[in-house]
Formats: sequence, structure tokens, C-alpha cells
Amino acid sequence: VSGVGPLARDAATAEFCDAAAAEKFLLRRCPAGHASEPAVSQCTTCGQTDLHWDPAGGGATLVSWAVSWSRPVAGEPSRQTILVIGELDEGPWWWTQLAGDPPPAYVALAAGCRLRIEFRRADADHEAVPVFVLA
Amino acid sequence: MTPLGKVYGPTPAQFAAEAVRLAVADAGLSLADVDGLLTSSGVSGGISIDLQRDLGLTDLRLLSHMQAYGSTAGAMVQFASMAVQSGMASVVACVFADSPLQPERNAGAAYGSRRAPAGWWGLLGASGVVGANPMYALAARRHMERYGTTSEQLGHIAVAQRAWAALNPAAQLREPITLADHQASRWIVEPFHLLDCCLVSNGGIAVVVTTADRAASLAQPPVHVLGWAQAHPGRYLRRDPDFGLVSGAASAGPAALAMAGIDLTDVDVAELYDCYTFTVLLTLEDYGFCPKGEGGPFVASGVLGPTGKLRLNTGGGQLSGYYMWGMTPLSEAVLQARGQAGARQAPAHDIVLVSGNGGVLDHHATLVLASAAAAQ
Repeated sequence: VSGVGPLARDAATAEFCDAAAAEKFLLRRCPAGHASEPAVSQCTTCGQTDLHWDPAGGGATLVSWAVSWSRPVAGEPSRQTILVIGELDEGPWWWTQLAGDPPPAYVALAAGCRLRIEFRRADADHEAVPVFVLA
Repeated sequence: MTPLGKVYGPTPAQFAAEAVRLAVADAGLSLADVDGLLTSSGVSGGISIDLQRDLGLTDLRLLSHMQAYGSTAGAMVQFASMAVQSGMASVVACVFADSPLQPERNAGAAYGSRRAPAGWWGLLGASGVVGANPMYALAARRHMERYGTTSEQLGHIAVAQRAWAALNPAAQLREPITLADHQASRWIVEPFHLLDCCLVSNGGIAVVVTTADRAASLAQPPVHVLGWAQAHPGRYLRRDPDFGLVSGAASAGPAALAMAGIDLTDVDVAELYDCYTFTVLLTLEDYGFCPKGEGGPFVASGVLGPTGKLRLNTGGGQLSGYYMWGMTPLSEAVLQARGQAGARQAPAHDIVLVSGNGGVLDHHATLVLASAAAAQ
């Protein structure tokens, strides 16, 4: 199973990346308490734009999964990456890979499996990337 | 349409200009008759309203570049239809072209590696979610999980469309395939095998929209636009209970049929957007060809292919024909409605239903087209 790729921050993701470095996954929360995906500029429930960052608990439920196979190269086995959608316990969805050592047996995956957010880096020069692992 | 497929050399703008020239000549018009131009570009970009100058079109009354991904072709015909109905313009050329393929470079590379490794898109890419394949695979898996849809059932769509492509001289892949071939083809992103995924093609396609009165005296049998609709659910990368289960087709399809004053049983031919086999299956359900969740058994029941009763993606579609975004189903629909589809011509072709799908099941356009005979 391949790991995460290199990632740089930009102005929009700076706070998210700072929190990821501290192993926290930030959501956007509005004054009414609704949680939205981190990339939004207004609340996905009520449209308010007065949003603040709020750490998610890290628990999630599997919505769907797929297995990406790298293009075959002569003499090398194809690398596989399990990609999943997780529904965070706060409501928003997130798209990333399902990591694990050893790699999870994806044939046993089913919607509703419990997941937990962890963080991985391509290397020390790059930002931390959230991944899911089986809880 | 220009030559399509592994055609190297022309830029997207050159393909687009040639497609417009060909379509205008095919209609029996000259470029001087064109007073409206709508342009659309694919992954390699390169097309803009500058196409007006490339074609020497002066004093246009309508000019715009449009982008709604795979639903753009349908959307262009819709806007062009409204323009000629309102009198804003009288002859509107709508064109799409793309040339992502380069010699010595694989098709995957043509559509990959375009995400910057920074920002929210970079985060998605660093997570391994790169391009359309994973997102559609996640959608298909959710459908499988919910309704029991299988890879073999998706394979029936690929096999049937290849059988149609064998009858289409313009198709890129014409060798028949079996369900076993589909199952044995390498994984791209499970649950998609290679043969679940569309081609990548170079080329350009244009259509000319004018009033019914004017079309009646032109060189080709007119194709009437009886109904249309769009749907843009807008939940991409957001929590979406419908993800993989219901697309914009579920609202656009019935709306377009209602505008045309017909129902699904009147449809003789369906040309449905097929970036993946799964997109066809979902659109069949959403349009109502079968109940929700029963798309798998439906496509496996023998209704597809040249010997089936459902005339669906008769040119081979984007899986086996050519990948020109929404212009693929639209161009085949026009040929069928005109009765010019040669060996693959549907015997009944009065009403042709066309879909365009863009983004990740996030943009939809439906057209209801009719032959000259049906419109009278």
C-alpha cells in the first residue's frame, strides 16, 4: 500500500495544516453549532459566514471505498491504495486513503465500519495529511 | 466532426475551427450565415471566444465560452435553442474540441498530474484521491453496497457498447469483447476495470442550431429540439446522502420529457453519457428506464446491444467510440435522428434522449431530440 504524497500549504489551508501537524483535524463550525467540511467559506447547513475552526473528535464511519491500482510497470508489482469516504462523527465527509500496518483487508470493508483519523507525511519537508485507519 | 482519436498535430483551437467549418458546410450553410458561436474546451483547454477570429466570423450576435464539464454540449444546445427562439441569433454554432493525447504518452498521463500539490486540491491529491477515477469508483461502490450491483453487471454495458462500436466506422475500439474480457481487464480503481473506463480522444465536434423554419430548407434532415433541462446538485466534496445513488439526471430527465410533452415510453433511442459504465447504469435508473436500485439486473437482462430492445449508446459511446465529452452522445443522437447511422441505425428513431454528465455526477443536461417526421 502506498503512502501519502507531498503536500505544501497555501493561505487557505495554513491553519488546517498547523492543526494537522499537531494531529488535529479541523472542521469549520458556525455560530449555530453546525459543522462543515474544512474547505467551505460558509456553513453548509445555514449559510452563515462567521465560521471558526473546531477540532473534530477523530471518529468516523465508512461511507464508501475503492482501491486504486498503480499502472503496471514491468518487473514491479502494482501498488494499491485504498481510498475511502468517511463520515466524521460531527457530520461532514472526508476523502482520503485508508492506511494501516499491515494494510487493511479491503475485502472485509463494509459501509458502517468504524474509522479513526490519523496523520501521515510523505517526508519531513511536507505537510501532514489526514488518513483514516480502521478503529 | 473532425477525425477523432489518436489524431496528433492540431491544437484544440484548430480542431474546433475545423469542426465548425465541417458542421456549417454539412448543414448547407456558409460561415457568413453564422451569427452565434458557443465554445467549449476539454482538459487541455486552448479554446476561447478567440475562435470567432480564427473562423473570420464578424458581427456575431451571440458569443460565449461555456463550461459545465460533460454537460456542456447539452447546455450549449439549450442556450442556442433559446437564442434562436428569442430571435437573438439565427444560426448558432456550438463546438467542443480537445487534444490531450500526445504521441508516446499514455492516456492516463493525459488526464492526470494536473493538480498542484498545495491547497485543498493538493490535500486531496496527497491523500491519493487523484482525478475522476477514484471519485466515480467510490460512487459505484456505494451503489454496489446499497443495491447489490456487481462488476459483472457493469460489464454488460461495456460489452454491449463495444458491439455497437463494431458497427461504427468512427469508433476507436471496434474489436468485440466478452464479459470475461471485461472481468480480466486490469483494475484501474476497484470496482472499475479498465473496460469500465472511457477512452481519451483528440478531435472536435460541432453542431449548428437554427430555427425549425430555416432548418427545413437546409441540406440535412432537421433534428428538432423538443425538450431540455439541467440539474446541478452542487454537493461535490460535501456530505451528500445521494452520492452514487441518485444524480441530477433524476430531475433533469423527467423535466426534459415534460417539456417535450412525451414520456419515457416514447423514447426510441437513448444516448447516455458514459465516462464510466456506472454512469450509464445510474442514468438509466434516474431517467426511469428501470426502478431505482435495479439498474444492475436491468442491464444484465439482455436489453442492451444491437440485438437488445433498448437502443442505447449506439455508436459505442465514450467507452468504445470516442471521448468528446457531451458531444459524443449528442453527435450520435443527431446521426440517429437523421437516419444516417449506417449499419447501426435504429429502425425507429423518432425520439432520441441525450444526456450529458459533468464533474462527479454533479452536473447534468438532458436533451429530447426528434426526427423531422416526429416533429410534424
